[in-house]
Amino acid sequence: MTFLGRDALEVDALVTDRYLESLLAGHAPVAGHAPMAGHAPVPGDGRGGAMLDGEVRFAAHRLGLDLPHFYPSFRFEERLGRRLADLAASLRFPAAAGAEGVVIPLGGIGRGGVDPATADLLAGLAGFDDPRRPGRPLLIGGAITSAALSLAGVAWVAWRRNHPAASRMARAVRAVNAARAVSAARAVSAARARLD
Amino acid sequence: MEAARRDPSQFDALYRRYLAQVYSFAYYELGDHHAAEDATERTFLSALANIHRFEERARPADGEGASTFRVWLFRIARNAIANQRRTVRRRPTAPIEAAAIVADPLDVEGDAVRREEGSAAWLAVGRQPTDRRRALILRFVDEMSTAEIAGVMGRSEGAIRVLIHRALRSVGRDLRGRSR
Repeated sequence: MTFLGRDALEVDALVTDRYLESLLAGHAPVAGHAPMAGHAPVPGDGRGGAMLDGEVRFAAHRLGLDLPHFYPSFRFEERLGRRLADLAASLRFPAAAGAEGVVIPLGGIGRGGVDPATADLLAGLAGFDDPRRPGRPLLIGGAITSAALSLAGVAWVAWRRNHPAASRMARAVRAVNAARAVSAARAVSAARARLD
Repeated sequence: MEAARRDPSQFDALYRRYLAQVYSFAYYELGDHHAAEDATERTFLSALANIHRFEERARPADGEGASTFRVWLFRIARNAIANQRRTVRRRPTAPIEAAAIVADPLDVEGDAVRREEGSAAWLAVGRQPTDRRRALILRFVDEMSTAEIAGVMGRSEGAIRVLIHRALRSVGRDLRGRSR
């Protein structure tokens, strides 16, 4: 299609659009009788020169008058209304329980609140996102927070157990702590045996 | 609309207001009462579950009470209908007699004429390609503006105007050709 042809089509389409606005708003004459073929001026068009395609006018009148509106059954309307009410009720409770929560972007913490060494450490842990990367929002508040912190604690302990300390002193402190834990466990076992 | 976003129980007013429009759109698209009900149900359930994601795009210049909610809702409906169509694989060819058309029970002759004309118009629209048919239904049945249809169909207003213009010319020729 040439530029001129395209422009003409767009002008015709604009004229049709104005006519439909007028027709559907009830301003165009609903003659009840299909207009004859040929071109006719657009009602309400201030320019006066715009001409509407006869086929378009005919079809617009027919569709405006003849296409029916459909309605669902009353039973369906009420059933769906009840389902929506149930869903709405279920949507309200979580919102109320978590209303005190705030969203903190994890990536923001990594950029400003965590030192590079800790960031490296967390990046090395399985199951943790690298805090230096932009992360997903973390919801603080309610059960999600507790679960997330518990998981973080478990992961931290697991990592510490599998990574020996770098200095001799640190290894010595860990060994003493481990020995204390073993002796305490033995004492508890012995006490239970005596009670039995 | 804002009330429904703050409190989902307020959604009922929106549901009552738009139910018939969404159902009508689905019925024209699917041509089956049960399929239209399924698509309508999915549309409203999905809209309620995601209402917190709705963003009002209407500007104050658009007039008091102007809202893009209907466009958002019909976009959901369009997807629900597409999913439903994949399920049932049907074309909108159901006879108009299957639909309950409210008519004057005393005007039997007029009722018969209306049915015949309505059936011819519906069939002529049904013979159009999907995009044209959808645009005509949104324009004439749901009485949407060109801007709203553009929003629902994801096209520019200019493209929608041309689409409707061509569709009307085609329907006009079809109706005249069959009435001769």
